[in-house]
Amino acid sequence: MAARAVRTYTHVVRILVVEDEPKLAAAIRDGLETQRYEVVLAHSGEEGFYAATVEQFELLIFDVMLPNRDGVEIVSSLRRRGVGTPVLLLTAKDAIDDRVRGLDAGADDYLVKPFAFPELLARIRALTRRGKTDGELSLAIADLQMDLRRRAVTRAARPIELTAREFELLEYLLRNHGCVVSREMLARDVWNIQTSTALDNVIDVQIGRLRRKIDDLHEQKLLHTVRGVGFVLRGDVS
Amino acid sequence: MRPTSLRRRLTWWYVGLLAAIMVVFVSGTAIVMYWQLYAQLDRHAVQDLETVEGLLSFTPSGVVNVAEDYHTHPESRLVQERYLQVLAPDGRVLYRNDRLGARTLGGDLTSHEGINGYSDRSDRLSDGTGVLLVSRRHEMAGRPIILRVGYATRPLWVHVGEWIGAAFLMVPIVLALAALAGYRLGQRALQPITDIADRAERITADRLHDRLPIPDSDAELAHLARVFNGLLARLEGSFDQLRRFTSDASHELRTPLASIRSVGEVSLEKEQTPAQYRNVIGSMLEEVNRLTSLVEALLAVARGDSNRLELNRRAIPVSELVREATSLLEVLAEEKSQQLVVYADDSATVVGDRVLLRQALVNLIHNAIRYSPESSTIQVRATAQPSGAIMLRVADNGPGIPSEHRDRVFDRFYRVEEARSREGGGAGLGLSIAKWAAEAHGGTLALAGNSEHGAVFEMQLPSA
Repeated sequence: MAARAVRTYTHVVRILVVEDEPKLAAAIRDGLETQRYEVVLAHSGEEGFYAATVEQFELLIFDVMLPNRDGVEIVSSLRRRGVGTPVLLLTAKDAIDDRVRGLDAGADDYLVKPFAFPELLARIRALTRRGKTDGELSLAIADLQMDLRRRAVTRAARPIELTAREFELLEYLLRNHGCVVSREMLARDVWNIQTSTALDNVIDVQIGRLRRKIDDLHEQKLLHTVRGVGFVLRGDVS
Repeated sequence: MRPTSLRRRLTWWYVGLLAAIMVVFVSGTAIVMYWQLYAQLDRHAVQDLETVEGLLSFTPSGVVNVAEDYHTHPESRLVQERYLQVLAPDGRVLYRNDRLGARTLGGDLTSHEGINGYSDRSDRLSDGTGVLLVSRRHEMAGRPIILRVGYATRPLWVHVGEWIGAAFLMVPIVLALAALAGYRLGQRALQPITDIADRAERITADRLHDRLPIPDSDAELAHLARVFNGLLARLEGSFDQLRRFTSDASHELRTPLASIRSVGEVSLEKEQTPAQYRNVIGSMLEEVNRLTSLVEALLAVARGDSNRLELNRRAIPVSELVREATSLLEVLAEEKSQQLVVYADDSATVVGDRVLLRQALVNLIHNAIRYSPESSTIQVRATAQPSGAIMLRVADNGPGIPSEHRDRVFDRFYRVEEARSREGGGAGLGLSIAKWAAEAHGGTLALAGNSEHGAVFEMQLPSA
């Protein structure tokens, strides 16, 4: 696994999570701590607003429907105070005007409940990595290599023929290797369409085909299905 | 303000109108009567004048004399007061009868009075008594004289007045009778409305199958009742649909919840390995995903129903739409060794929401792939009709849709074969969403062909 790009943080990323539903708040904290983020929880808008103004965070995650003070309002007053920390809003409403209202208030991204946890992780990665470009020319995991210029894939130095869609799928999985990607993420980022029953079937079939091509002849399986969550490309032995 | 009863108002109108009509009638007859009596009096006067002409004579002293005994028995009761005056052409009064006495009849002579036949006019005596006056020029013993006969018009007025009095005495009686009759009549005429209202009051959401009685006597009320019945039928239809939708939706939502619950409960019954637990949690998450996508679909459907979904209309070449849908789904067909035969008219363009139309087409093709056997052929055709409309046609080689399901295939949550399609993962919303999308674009989606050799769905969209 020589070529594996190990995710090492020069410092621990601190995230403030403002969520009034205790079960969800605890789940988010546990999930993020597993991913080696440092999480501060706030259970009310006031508490969150106070924490966001006095402490340093890399990312603020606000629930929109908070008792007393709504997330969007907190975001706009934070922005007025000059707090420029990226904000991710969580909400159960998916009406477009709510989304627009949130983004207008100065939020950077928006996630509708119920969301898939891998999706949340992907958004967090995107927001904390913002500005850093990844201009790699090749991607690799274990003995699987992808040459982005020649659009060629090899496993254990043996070439693998992939269709355009399979290549895109594998590239996406490689870029997110080690992280579970959900069906929603694949639908949006690889197929560029909203999720639907038909697409779920399509994703299953494509994953199956990709797995046959990259894993069938090899002892070490790279592409794993996390039941009920999504798919992950993993090179280490778990 | 309390609304007054329609019946009472009708009655008042009826009585009021009748009263007005009666006033007009009585005054009309009074006027006609007056003129008739006046004409009658006039004729009497002329006759009298002729009679008087024969009775005139000069006394030896040159005074005019009238044998007036004729006049003592007037034949008309209208003639109560008769005045007679004889004048010389120079205006000198030659004779006045006793009743006239010292009063003058008709004043000074007018220039042509009595020259051509009988001149008649209304006049007043010097003491103000109204008279009808007829005059005539006459030759008597070679000397021209002017005869004037006048009748008092008072009896005429009295006569007409009596008639008016008698008529108005009858008016209240007639009006009272009319009011009573009108009230009864109103009651009878409005009875069907009362019936309809009574029946309508008893119709509740649970009894929408009830219909209003259609009165066969009144076309207008029958029309009203039919309109209400039509409304009730439509209400019943949407209530039924809603009820079915609610029960189907709760069924669809309960099924995954039940799975989550039992999977969780059963797994806690005994100690298990981490791999087994992972499996259990994964299974629960799968059900959660099903619930999530179901809720999302329901929300989309609800938004569509309330017309809150705005269409992002663009001109889209139909061939692109077809290519996008088929390229997405071709792997599924490949898996079943099915052949997707695609034909798209390159020139055909449709104006619509790309996401929505593609979703509709994807749902149709996906259904076709799902229900067609392995190694069969599925045809997708997109053509411009001669009318300019765009026809998207998806024909499969599946078992077709049993005729008893034909009417309901577009219903939400409706699945022809419960168990088998659930395995395929559908919630039974695909066709209803496709139909809705077509209709949102002003088009239609219909089951155009159906046999045991396959089903044909045709989506027609208006031309660009």
